[in-house]
Amino acid sequence: MTKGWKGYQAVDLFDELITAKGGARTAARQALRLLQGLPEEEMIARRRSADLAIREMGISFTVYTEGGNIDRAWPFDIIPRIITAREWSQVSLGLQQRSRALNCFIDDIYNQQRILADGVVPAEIVLDSPNFKAPCMGMSPRYGVWAHICGSDLVRDQSGRFFVLEDNLRVPSGVSYMVENREITKRVLPELFENYSILPVDDYPLRLYETLAQLSPRTRRRPTVVVLTPGIYNSAYFEHAFLAQGMGAELVEGPDLFVDTDDCVYMRTVDGPERVDVVYRRIDEEFMDPEAFRADSVLGVPGLMRAWKQGNVAIANAPGSGVADDKVIYAFVPEMIRYYLNEKPLVNSVPTYLCMREKDRDYVLGNLDKLVVKPANESGGYGIMVGPHSTRATHREFARLIEKDPRNYIAQPTLSLSTAPTYVDTSVEPRHLDLRPFILQGKDCWVTPGGLTRVAMKKGSLVVNSSQGGGSKDTWIVEGKS
Amino acid sequence: MTMLSSVAERLYWMSRYLERAEDTARLVGAYNHLIMDIPRGSEPAWDIMIRILDAVRAFEDRYRVVSEQNVIRLLIADTTAPCSIPFAIASARENVRTTRDVLPEEAWELVNELHLYVGEAAKSSVGRRNRHPFLAEVIARCQMINGLLLSTLSRDHAYRFIKLGRLLECADMGTRVVDVGAGDILDRAGSHAAIEPLLWSVLLQALSASSAYRREVGPIVEANDVVNFVFTQGNFPRSVKFCVAGIREELTPLSNHEPALRVINRIRRRLKGLSVEEITREELHIFIDDFQLQLNALHQSIADTWFRIDAP
Repeated sequence: MTKGWKGYQAVDLFDELITAKGGARTAARQALRLLQGLPEEEMIARRRSADLAIREMGISFTVYTEGGNIDRAWPFDIIPRIITAREWSQVSLGLQQRSRALNCFIDDIYNQQRILADGVVPAEIVLDSPNFKAPCMGMSPRYGVWAHICGSDLVRDQSGRFFVLEDNLRVPSGVSYMVENREITKRVLPELFENYSILPVDDYPLRLYETLAQLSPRTRRRPTVVVLTPGIYNSAYFEHAFLAQGMGAELVEGPDLFVDTDDCVYMRTVDGPERVDVVYRRIDEEFMDPEAFRADSVLGVPGLMRAWKQGNVAIANAPGSGVADDKVIYAFVPEMIRYYLNEKPLVNSVPTYLCMREKDRDYVLGNLDKLVVKPANESGGYGIMVGPHSTRATHREFARLIEKDPRNYIAQPTLSLSTAPTYVDTSVEPRHLDLRPFILQGKDCWVTPGGLTRVAMKKGSLVVNSSQGGGSKDTWIVEGKS
Repeated sequence: MTMLSSVAERLYWMSRYLERAEDTARLVGAYNHLIMDIPRGSEPAWDIMIRILDAVRAFEDRYRVVSEQNVIRLLIADTTAPCSIPFAIASARENVRTTRDVLPEEAWELVNELHLYVGEAAKSSVGRRNRHPFLAEVIARCQMINGLLLSTLSRDHAYRFIKLGRLLECADMGTRVVDVGAGDILDRAGSHAAIEPLLWSVLLQALSASSAYRREVGPIVEANDVVNFVFTQGNFPRSVKFCVAGIREELTPLSNHEPALRVINRIRRRLKGLSVEEITREELHIFIDDFQLQLNALHQSIADTWFRIDAP
């Protein structure tokens, strides 16, 4: 048996596979029996073959360094995370509900702005936000859907309840790794699959294609969908290529496209211009069209906004969707669900203090050592302060930042993220993790079974981002009595 | 099948760079052999290779003395000069990196490994001792990549642009080699007359044409025969005629091919009109100069028609 299994215990935390008493959770029983039965050499060999598979499959992500960009092999832990289908179906319903409400909100903001008029959400936090894009006013994309692809980050607290930590509505990434992680596990631990029925994840590109194809302005049997990437030096380039290939779509960069005088989008092919129906953009909206947004962008397509506003091309996610991807707006999602859907939220949000509110701010400034402070408008885990793990000096620095720009900061209680057994060096140890499922919203709504589990590989760390040394795990949603 | 203009362009350049790397390796290797056969004092200058490869400026920017070491260092170990093997390989790799989805999976691995090999081995292969194995390895790996593409790619646009790039580069190299043989060395030849046949057979080797030439023409290597063979032996896959025919074949199924076809037809007519026995060295040189211009025009026409161009 590998070191660490014996006496593995989650103290005051929820562990995904092992109960507080040290026994296996029902759904994990079979897998644990097998994993714990493997001699140490065997575990090492399995991990080595996972590393090899990752290299062979060319799964990488790009990290920016001072010496240029390097492709790093994808960090992967071979012990899967296991969740029952029954539990997941509740989460999935909650995520669909959120996606519907968020899309209602975006559509409302760019049209009647009822929610602002009714005072449910303060107008200034929406209209003064850099994420609010005035050029999008008056647009109504098909089905009223703006954010077709959403990646929501989930965590569990001590009791095992899921909480949504944030909704990524701009260009959420990671889904290709979810698919590849399953592929790796199939290769290196095939015997684990014998006793389980695990919901498959490899149909994601197909589902994505269906969602995108519905948006086509032209009625055609096979609309022309393209994936718009900033290029090879983007950290998610691997994923852009993966999805393009999986959908049989072209992977294009800005200069491959142009907007003609008829306000339609074309790609330059060797057979001449070919009209594009749907652009799945993996480039920030600020860079999407130098005519409409940042004029200095060389990544974008001049006139793309014009073509979109004329209804000649669909863009996913629609420009302007980012207005709902903001940690201040996040605090209002439960209100949105009640307001637009007249429903009770099915999945929890984390209580959030808005530093723009005086009462909240006073509380935050008095309790910096207990809270997690986040800038409203950053992603990738940058600019976050985890109070209990930070020095006094850092607390003081954040106090200054908050007082200078309260609108830009929110705070939340430090959640004790759940853990799962993770194979670190030569022993199995608990490591914190989160989960990013992907929600596709078109005519219908669909949620990936599971998602991408990210693991903080450093002991005690709560930072799971792969750009900051995080790893990942295959995530199973298993059916059956348990 | 849709093919983005930018992807077509990258495939075309990938292929040209791979061919260039292979041809350069062959040229250096062949010349290397020649040098050992020639008595001290009557070696032709090392700058022949730099002239064949159009690299005089690149050389002068870096070195003052035309010596064996400097020429070889430029061609096989310099990473910034466009005429060098490492530069060609690195450029090929950059082009494959962004076209992996239209190529067989192993293509990226092989090109990447070649790039790593050249990075590790080039500097220590400047000396005579390691030079030959290095060049042989580069040639073998290039051939492996070509073989892979030839045996696994569907005959669609991707294959077409790869083939266009390779044939154009190959035709270009063939004419360069002959030009130097004909125009440069031999005219001022008094001192080199004795080694002329040796030199021509080296040039044949540089084109991988020695054994085909022996079988077709015979063992005696003679200037006119070599020129004739390189230009007009339609069965030999590295002859200019063969390359031109292949280019024409691949251009035909492409849409909007008229401008490029006009150029290639013109090239074909020139080639037909070439009669080596009747022209002087000087005239041959002028012919080749013009021929090179036509190849450039062909490249330009391909780029204008099919590669990334601005909106109408």
